Amino acid sequence: MMLTRRLASSRWWIGLVVLLLIGFPFVSDSRGALILMTQIFIYAVFAMSYDILLGYTGIISFGHAMFFGIGAYTTAIFLHRWDHSLLSFLVSLLAVLVLTGIVSYLIGVMTLRLKSHFYAMLTLAIAGLFLVLAEKWRDVTKGSDGFTFYIPDLLKDRTSLYFVALAFMIIMFFLLKRFTDSPTGKVLQAIRENEQRTESLGYQILHYKIIASMVAGLAAGLSGSMYAITLRFVNTAVFGTNVTLDALLMTIIGGVGTLFGSMLGSALILLVHAGLTDLAKIHWIFERWMIFFGAIYILAVMFFPQGIVGMFRQWRAKWNKG
Amino acid sequence: MDVLLNLTINGIATGSLIFLLAAGLTLIFGLMHVLNFAHGALFAWGAYFGVWIYTQTGSFVVGIIGAIVIGALLGWLLERWIIQPVYTNTMSQIQVTMGLLLVMNECIKVFFGPNQVSVQLPSYLDESWLIGGVILIKYRLFVIAVGILVFLALQYMLKRTRLGLIVRAGVMNKEMVQALGVNIKKVFLYVFILGCGMAALGGMLFAPYSGVIHAEIGMDYGILAFIVVVIGGMGSMVGSALAALLVGVLGAFMTFYVPSVALAVNMLLMFGVLMFRPAGLLGRG
Repeated sequence: MMLTRRLASSRWWIGLVVLLLIGFPFVSDSRGALILMTQIFIYAVFAMSYDILLGYTGIISFGHAMFFGIGAYTTAIFLHRWDHSLLSFLVSLLAVLVLTGIVSYLIGVMTLRLKSHFYAMLTLAIAGLFLVLAEKWRDVTKGSDGFTFYIPDLLKDRTSLYFVALAFMIIMFFLLKRFTDSPTGKVLQAIRENEQRTESLGYQILHYKIIASMVAGLAAGLSGSMYAITLRFVNTAVFGTNVTLDALLMTIIGGVGTLFGSMLGSALILLVHAGLTDLAKIHWIFERWMIFFGAIYILAVMFFPQGIVGMFRQWRAKWNKG
Repeated sequence: MDVLLNLTINGIATGSLIFLLAAGLTLIFGLMHVLNFAHGALFAWGAYFGVWIYTQTGSFVVGIIGAIVIGALLGWLLERWIIQPVYTNTMSQIQVTMGLLLVMNECIKVFFGPNQVSVQLPSYLDESWLIGGVILIKYRLFVIAVGILVFLALQYMLKRTRLGLIVRAGVMNKEMVQALGVNIKKVFLYVFILGCGMAALGGMLFAPYSGVIHAEIGMDYGILAFIVVVIGGMGSMVGSALAALLVGVLGAFMTFYVPSVALAVNMLLMFGVLMFRPAGLLGRG
């Protein structure tokens, strides 16, 4: 009994999962699977960044795609206009951090005072503005057709890109974990639980919310850059509302307020999506996979709000007690 | 001059369509603080099902009635099964209604295919008069007339009937009304059904107005309706009517003179109002 209890509470299985993921490219020789896994890692970072807002601070943004899009376009434009060296890529990442930092700060200062309804609506509207901007500013973005570009030689090989993405996810996980465990992160969770009480304890709610929005924006921007690298192509779809809704879905299904749940959600959603796309050859209804996700999502919010990881934790707490 | 007049009439017609959508939204929010993101989907469903009935029966009037019935029915179902369980939880509300918008839009694509559907006007509405260089299109005047009628009917309902009295009191202080023995949930159900019916009517009238409908109109016009409700003030019917006219007319002029920023102007308008007058033009505190 002691042994099983220690097994359940220890973190040995995280190491095991990482080992399995490192070993995966050596076992599987399917190119498609490799690309899918790479996308899962990148979407996991995007979903984790969304979890900082939704799960840790308790604010719903419908415009998170704007940071993803800014990241994707910035990297794409750097690699397309300047050259496709590694240096150019790294400089573009720096530019992404600066840009998303500024944008998330400005938007946070202006909109986070509002009540949750208005905030959700306004972020939806602002992301819509970015989409319009990307469509109209054809000189730079080439409109909704988008453009392809070359990527640094180092990342051209699918296997090395896989490892870079895996490392990216692990590093971002630890950084964000560090952030949510920090005193600032604790205040954010206090805001989620009870905003008024936190305020009367003397914390400036707005400041903390802006910090959360900036951290989420920066992480989302970086995941956008990586996304552009895997596709070697960018178009206005990166600003779409669907991108935000994907993150929302992944976070909810995996478990809000647990960074790990976002990763799980990302894997689950993208794997199921890939499966349904294959099924579309059998019956056209599977092409409308959004219906399935939407229905699952509504049911999850209504009956299953703690997500997979939340359920697991509940079950483990009960087990440890008994 | 002719251009200005034409654009104004266009704008007012679009404004009345947006008003039909926004009126329900503002009532629902004012009474129960439920911001229904799926409201735009009712607009799209009204358009698609109304047009389907219209083409099947050949009668435009039957199409309109069918759209309203579909909208009201959907409203009843949604309120009972989806909205009611999440009344108290703002976070779940926002998420559930957004998911609903998604599912309902996709359902349209499943039922009617993902392509655009073109819609013809019935011949008796497909006329126009030329008066001194100004073209008056009959259908636009018809849409404006419907908008005015609905507005007057709503004002009558709110100001002169018992239901309206309860709704107005509920907007002010929901708990007090409940304490006085009124089943406010039931009243809210009626308001919700009414709002959904109006949204579906708006969609049906929109279909021949634009000539084509596609599944995304729910999202597009839903956002416009939100903008209108925010500008006008949540819970204020007159405010919504004014804001709908403002957005409609401004939109008509912008798409004519500077089309590239037409959408942006509305968003900026909402942005400005939220920044400096969060309660809206005619909203209470």
